Amino acid sequence: MAAETELDPVIHAPTRLRVVVTLATLRDGDSLSFTRLQDLLGLTPGNLITHLRKLEDAGYVTTVKTGSGVTARTSVSLSQQGREALNTYAAVLRQLLDSASTSGTSPH
Amino acid sequence: MPARARKELFISRPIVYTAWGLVWLFGYGAMWLSVRGQHPYTGPSGVSIAVVFVLAAFAIAAVLVIASKTVAGIDGKSTRDRRIIGSTWAIGYLTLLIVAPVISNSVSTRTLAFISFAGPVMLAGLTYILASVLGRDRPPLALGAWLVIVGASCAWQAPAAILATCALAGGGAFLLMAVIGTRLRTHGS
Repeated sequence: MAAETELDPVIHAPTRLRVVVTLATLRDGDSLSFTRLQDLLGLTPGNLITHLRKLEDAGYVTTVKTGSGVTARTSVSLSQQGREALNTYAAVLRQLLDSASTSGTSPH
Repeated sequence: MPARARKELFISRPIVYTAWGLVWLFGYGAMWLSVRGQHPYTGPSGVSIAVVFVLAAFAIAAVLVIASKTVAGIDGKSTRDRRIIGSTWAIGYLTLLIVAPVISNSVSTRTLAFISFAGPVMLAGLTYILASVLGRDRPPLALGAWLVIVGASCAWQAPAAILATCALAGGGAFLLMAVIGTRLRTHGS
């Protein structure tokens, strides 16, 4: 944790950060449907799929497809690895902002 | 975003508490007004009982509409927990509705009043305690414990006093929780 100094590039993209933060508000063991996530974030299906794929490749989210045809449903949830990555990202960002504010207030 | 997501994905507790607080305050209050001064005690008037059921029907409908919109698309542990909590309350309440008329001729009016009026209060309290345990959440535990104490305290009271206690200490607790919840939401967002 203390060794981390770089912001995770997978989470750092604004849209992916919104996806991860939204999924992180869910309780452990819960998932959100693709369409509800899309509505909440105001994204097109294609855009959301692209970002989810990157998050899934990094192991941060899990998608599960159930049913077929009109009953088909895709559920998205944040993995434990994703939750830890978000916590690390928040800590590194806080550290960076703190150091910026400290250097900004120091005398020249 | 977290505050917005939380607001959109979680059922607003202050709204639920306000709905039930008003039902209890005015429902139990109406029954209390109808029995106040009865000598001997004959029970609440049909109109006041109808008021309770109409208010409860509105509250249940409002909570269900809000809940179905809020939790749409969410699946998993919290869905299972909601089903357990909802069915526990429904089974308990139906049991009280069935048992009270069956035993009405074999128990005293005081005992019947305790089961009919304080029973739902204790049941609601136990349901909130269950919700607290399942959701690992403290505020419902405090409300649940208080409601169980309020219901149990009715064992020492006369029927009219039971109704007044349920209206003020029960309904009042819901409304107080709504105020606290609104303040926490305002300061938290």
